[in-house]
Amino acid sequence: MAKVTDVAVTHVPVVGRTPRQLFWGRFRQDKAALFGGGVIITLVLLATFAGVISNIVGHGPNDVYQSTMTDDFGIPKGPNSSFWFGADSAARDLFVRVLYGARTSLLVALFATSVSMTIGVTVGVVAGYYRGFADTLLSRVSDVVLAMPQLLLAIGIGAACGQTAQGCVGGLIQPGLGLVVFVISAFTWPYVARIVRSTTLSLREKEFVEAARSLGASDRRIIVREILPNLVAPITIYATLLIPANILFEAGLSYLGLGLPPDTPSWGQAISSAAEGGLYRTTPWLMIFPGIFLILTTLAFNLLGDGLRDAIDPRSDR
Amino acid sequence: MKFKLAVVAGVAVLAAVAIAASASARPQHATAKKVSAGGTYRVEWESSFDFTDGFDPTGEYLGEAFGIYSNLLVRTLVGYNHVKGAPGNALVPDVATDLGKISNGGKTYTFKIKPGVKFGPPLNRQVTSADFAFAMERIKDPKIGAQYGFYYNEVKNVETPDASTVVYNLTKPTGDFRYRIAMPAAGPMPKEVAGCFTEAAKYGRVLISSGPYMLEGSDKLDASSCDKVAASTISGFDGEKVLSLVRNPAYQPGTDSTKARENFPDAFTFTVNTNTDDIYAKIARGDIEDEVAGETPTILRQYQGSDQLKTNDGDRTWYLTMNTTQPPFDDVHVRRATNFVIDRVGLRKAWGGPAAGAIATHIAPDAILNDKLKGYAPYGASGKGDLAKAKAEMKLSKYDANKDGLCDAKVCQNLFTVQGESAIRIAMVPIVEASMKKIGIKLKTRVLKDAYTPIQTPSLNIPFSLRPGWGKDYADALTFYGPLFDGRTIIPKGNTNYSLLGITPAIAKKVRAKGNIAAAPSVNADLDKCAPLVGGPRVSCYATLDKKLTTQIVPWVPYLWSYSQTVVSKNVTKWEFDQFGGTIAYAHVAVK
Repeated sequence: MAKVTDVAVTHVPVVGRTPRQLFWGRFRQDKAALFGGGVIITLVLLATFAGVISNIVGHGPNDVYQSTMTDDFGIPKGPNSSFWFGADSAARDLFVRVLYGARTSLLVALFATSVSMTIGVTVGVVAGYYRGFADTLLSRVSDVVLAMPQLLLAIGIGAACGQTAQGCVGGLIQPGLGLVVFVISAFTWPYVARIVRSTTLSLREKEFVEAARSLGASDRRIIVREILPNLVAPITIYATLLIPANILFEAGLSYLGLGLPPDTPSWGQAISSAAEGGLYRTTPWLMIFPGIFLILTTLAFNLLGDGLRDAIDPRSDR
Repeated sequence: MKFKLAVVAGVAVLAAVAIAASASARPQHATAKKVSAGGTYRVEWESSFDFTDGFDPTGEYLGEAFGIYSNLLVRTLVGYNHVKGAPGNALVPDVATDLGKISNGGKTYTFKIKPGVKFGPPLNRQVTSADFAFAMERIKDPKIGAQYGFYYNEVKNVETPDASTVVYNLTKPTGDFRYRIAMPAAGPMPKEVAGCFTEAAKYGRVLISSGPYMLEGSDKLDASSCDKVAASTISGFDGEKVLSLVRNPAYQPGTDSTKARENFPDAFTFTVNTNTDDIYAKIARGDIEDEVAGETPTILRQYQGSDQLKTNDGDRTWYLTMNTTQPPFDDVHVRRATNFVIDRVGLRKAWGGPAAGAIATHIAPDAILNDKLKGYAPYGASGKGDLAKAKAEMKLSKYDANKDGLCDAKVCQNLFTVQGESAIRIAMVPIVEASMKKIGIKLKTRVLKDAYTPIQTPSLNIPFSLRPGWGKDYADALTFYGPLFDGRTIIPKGNTNYSLLGITPAIAKKVRAKGNIAAAPSVNADLDKCAPLVGGPRVSCYATLDKKLTTQIVPWVPYLWSYSQTVVSKNVTKWEFDQFGGTIAYAHVAVK
């Protein structure tokens, strides 16, 4: 009896919740995703303030400390109180370079991801919405791009355009950050386009689109006001998952010595220099620190991406 | 019972011997290793045996290939004793009975061939004067692509009055001619086999030996007709994988000297292994005897003080090259300022510190000039750089308008520079960049897998490179100056005069080089003056030229005279360094 009364007394009216609140309620409970988000925020802060931190430490990213941080054979020394991560193979402060490397990695990943998302979404929506000839053409183009050996092409471009100051195609293509971003985005947009196309194909048959169409809305209005807002969820999820893939791709390209000039700190390059001549066996920190950062970043973005997907679209299977 | 006892006793004796052996093996150092013939000397290489011309001696020019030819496969009229230091650079008779007679005012060289010097299987015949004449014919054939053909430009003709007499007639006196015919390209070539190959890089795979060893499987070669030769391969040679050599049964030790060749092992195998780490692991385990790979600072540290690490003068200069037609290096003051500012000690440290070599203070290593310039260091002996002097030079330059010792011209911002890709080379970049910044030059360095091709192509107009190094071709100073600074040798591709000294507008047009062509200084006249000289005056002439190049022409920033290092396994009982090619003296090594 008392129980029933309790329920009746503590009755709270049902409050309508917006999709955003629903999302946040679910996301908040995903510890892994929160951890991922936290790591990413920390990384972004470290990358943003790399210059400030480097000033506090007193070591620039390209300052060489041969006399203090190498032995008689020029082999770098390990971590100590003023060089927290030790020195890299060229006797520079590895800690400072890892922070600057975070900047490079995040910048490349963000740029490349936004470029490939922009191209991918545009192509996907156009192909999915208009179907027919446009769909055939765009889908075949993205198939062709997917068929290209991206790594070989990147190596080829790096080798062919690296020999002169002018680069190739009248200076349009030059090895460096720009080329890395170009190569990565040029080869990832088809994946985005495929996902967006299939979602658009189903969206365009939905009742609300039919309704808009019967009211006489233009194609443009339907795409912008009806379809795109419904694509936000899959796009966000995919972008979050694409970023770590792109960070790894950048590290891979840098490992192969493509693109980034030697004074631009990069995790891939740091790991590559540790692998050269088996240096990591005597100086393991060269591989450990950039490696940890690379793994942490990739893991954080993947956890966040998974969390976002679960929170936005709880019905989907893992 | 008796039998059993014997076995037990035998085992006991064996065990005792083994214990004694292992006990003596540990503190060993003082005890000399016993040298005996036999066994296989196994070497692993970082790069392929196709070298620069598919192992064809006519076109091949790498020191490492010279080492294999000269020690093991190709005997020349005059040759070397394959030992280290100055004795290793001295010529001795090999196929010839003596060092030859010079007549006609230094324009005729006559040699007599020893009887009994034979080509190996399948020919098994006496080496004759015609074989030397044919080698020269191949060198002169443009289709064969003899990279070092320019060393034989002075040869007018080769006469063969009889089978054992070779006469070289020259167009002008050439002081170092004997050294030139001691190079493998001038060694004997049998026309019945080598004549079947009329293109570059083909003869190497069926090379017929005149030395103590031969390509394994040579005896199975069918040399009855050119069609048969062209269709066949010899199992001992695969340029991408393996080079295996066995004793040449036609070789007669009586025709050779043990000072030149001792020939202890029964066989040599050279295997390509691109995994340098693995090569050193195998050396440490004793799975192979020797290596031809890059000795990293880590390896130098690991083997420091051990008798497994062999360190010798490499007769090699490593340098930064400045293109004298490209701003700001078209101004000699900028080139001098660069020489003053570069931290050579830092660069050497990137190479492995003092264990890697000596600081270079002028162009050619001291040994090449008989130590005539020893201690000559116009830019400072310490190698640490002299900023005050660098800035003073920069102030004299047209690229420093406000005379503050810093380059303020636009060309000094993002000055294009190329560098190779290995760890050592990448570690050099920040050191050079930091040095150059002190005189206001900011580099834009590009790291390339192959940094040589761009600087060997004048039409690409590369102003600066950190990549090059140069080793002597033979023990004469000419090899350090002729190919590197003679304006008449500039070619569109594969050019070795990176600084473009002595380039003329006509040559610039031919090789499509653009830039301040008129600014390029020339040493052509100095080179012509030294070339015909012999002996002491010759060395003095080149020493004077070296001084002029170092301080007045300034095409380079020489920074390191590297040692030649090799790590051998504990199986090696005798080891020697061959100063001629700067390689392992295979003719004198022995294995347990």
